[in-house]
Amino acid sequence: MESIVQEQLSLEEGAAHLTQILRESRDEQILPVLLRQHVSLQAQQAELGRIFTDQSLKEDWKYTPLDFLRRRWQVKPFEEVSPPFSFLEDWRREIVPIPLHEETPALRSFPEPRSPWEALAVGAPTHRHYTLKRDERLSLAFRNSGELAPLTCTISVSPLADCEVWLCLSGTGFSLLRLHFHVGREGRLRLYIPDRLENQSVYHYFLVTGYLEEYATVETYDLTIASGWKRSEIRLQLGGTGARAYLHGAAHVLSAGMMDAAIRVEHLAPHTESNQLFRSLVEAKGRSTFQGRIYVHRLAQKTNAYQSHKALLTAASAVAYSRPQLEIFADDVRCTHGVTTGFLQGEMLFYLRARGIPEGLAKQMLYEAFLTEVIEKVPSPSLQSWASEEIRRNIQS
Amino acid sequence: MLQIQNLHASVEGRSILKGVNLEVRAGEVHAIMGPNGAGKSTLAAILTGKEGYEVTEGEVLFEGQNLLDMAPEERSHAGIFLAFQYPVEIPGVSMIQFLRAALNAHRMAKGLEPLDSAELMSLLREKAALLKLEPDFLTRSVNEGFSGGERKRAEIFQMAILDPKLVIMDETDSGLDIDALKIVAEAVNALRTPQRAFVLITHYYRILQYIRPDVVHILMDGRIVRSGDASLAIELEEKGYDLLISQA
Repeated sequence: MESIVQEQLSLEEGAAHLTQILRESRDEQILPVLLRQHVSLQAQQAELGRIFTDQSLKEDWKYTPLDFLRRRWQVKPFEEVSPPFSFLEDWRREIVPIPLHEETPALRSFPEPRSPWEALAVGAPTHRHYTLKRDERLSLAFRNSGELAPLTCTISVSPLADCEVWLCLSGTGFSLLRLHFHVGREGRLRLYIPDRLENQSVYHYFLVTGYLEEYATVETYDLTIASGWKRSEIRLQLGGTGARAYLHGAAHVLSAGMMDAAIRVEHLAPHTESNQLFRSLVEAKGRSTFQGRIYVHRLAQKTNAYQSHKALLTAASAVAYSRPQLEIFADDVRCTHGVTTGFLQGEMLFYLRARGIPEGLAKQMLYEAFLTEVIEKVPSPSLQSWASEEIRRNIQS
Repeated sequence: MLQIQNLHASVEGRSILKGVNLEVRAGEVHAIMGPNGAGKSTLAAILTGKEGYEVTEGEVLFEGQNLLDMAPEERSHAGIFLAFQYPVEIPGVSMIQFLRAALNAHRMAKGLEPLDSAELMSLLREKAALLKLEPDFLTRSVNEGFSGGERKRAEIFQMAILDPKLVIMDETDSGLDIDALKIVAEAVNALRTPQRAFVLITHYYRILQYIRPDVVHILMDGRIVRSGDASLAIELEEKGYDLLISQA
């Protein structure tokens, strides 16, 4: 039980404090020597305060509450724990920080930081690297004990491999997870992020980047029950011909919760395909933000890119922002985007009630169905059940 | 069973129904015909409790109860069923999930235990066969991707499941080809009982060739202007609304 009254910082003071402790806590020894110097320089130059002054960073953060900056955090590394799903236990691997070298694929494609957050997150005191070969499954489960816990994770998926990675965070505090993966030619990666933020003292910030070689495929499933604060930044580069990325997000944002999805898919090669399918069910005083960008390079002819975000508000005090963005520099492409925000359709509700279903139950069914559109696409039946049950339980309560 | 007396109603301040009187007894089939904008669908919406319609005068009694004081689900539990003109798609809710919830809500209102899965499936399969519905129909989302004919058959299927006392069919025949119309009509005729009444709202005589009404009403400009037996529909088909009414 916290009995100490936390000092309240201004947002600018908080950003400076966070910058300082992230910088000080970094441990770059795991990085190859050639990379170390570069990364170190980037971190030294990074200032989180730029989110208040840099125009493009301000745009990226304009809808996101930043109250977590008001607290004076201390760095305390994650504790590795058992995954929350029993079936994941069998897949748990010994944590073997594989020595990295410049030719490690995930380091070769490690992108330049687009924000001070990214620059500061690399070299976190907890750092993992995995190389996944054919049909491997990796589950990573970490617990935050209530402070600031940063983690850097790099994953190389070998050519032709068909792999799954599960990321499960628990505990309270501010969890900052920087993940970069590289998927080799014709490799496939499914990334599952089942995320339940129990209360308002939980902050999860996922900074995920990925690079896909020729005919590689990535599927992401970010399923969130948010009473706390969460930001998921996912930035993928479809660098090889025929690469494909399918991003899914279903968020049930509970009262006073916040879910912020910032997605960027870069089509850099011809015949690439992507689909962003996101749904947010937002309860009273909850807040959802979706910023989805599709970038098509001039060389990425024959690109197919789709994006859909729908937010369903259950009360007038729920808030949803959606910002679809398309940057297309090739002329032979097909790109679509669709965004809706609103309340339950009266026609649907009346249809159920006219069949005798009481209003409360009818609303529950429709709210659940709204997220089902994403959940039913999750390949793991166990995760589907988990998400459906969580959502049903929260809607009923 | 159903008594409508001097019913006046408006939508967004515009008067639509201007004094409708109608009495439907158990076992009867009434057809309500009328041109576009006459108020047919408004009447159906008011009987089933849809929001957005204001009753400004008159009353509606269903088995002696004031229908207008009841919520839509209470009307359904009391035995009123509306076959929608445009059944809405509900992605993410399967037919089986929907029907389980509806049927168990009805049973709960009657003080009965919910059906177990085996009983439910048995009932659904029996009624689906009546409407010649494909087996995968039950696992699909409600009305999602259904053809026009499938939607209308799904409405009658739901009616067969919920076993209502009064069925209001709002232009069920619209958008149906002749084969689908025959399937729907056969199912409706199979469900005709001395205890159940039907109100068929339609533009066309066609459906009445397959579902023979006891009484035909002509609704124009918010009022029932003529009533008669089934021959009135034939006369209407021959003469059209204007001539028929001008000769009245």
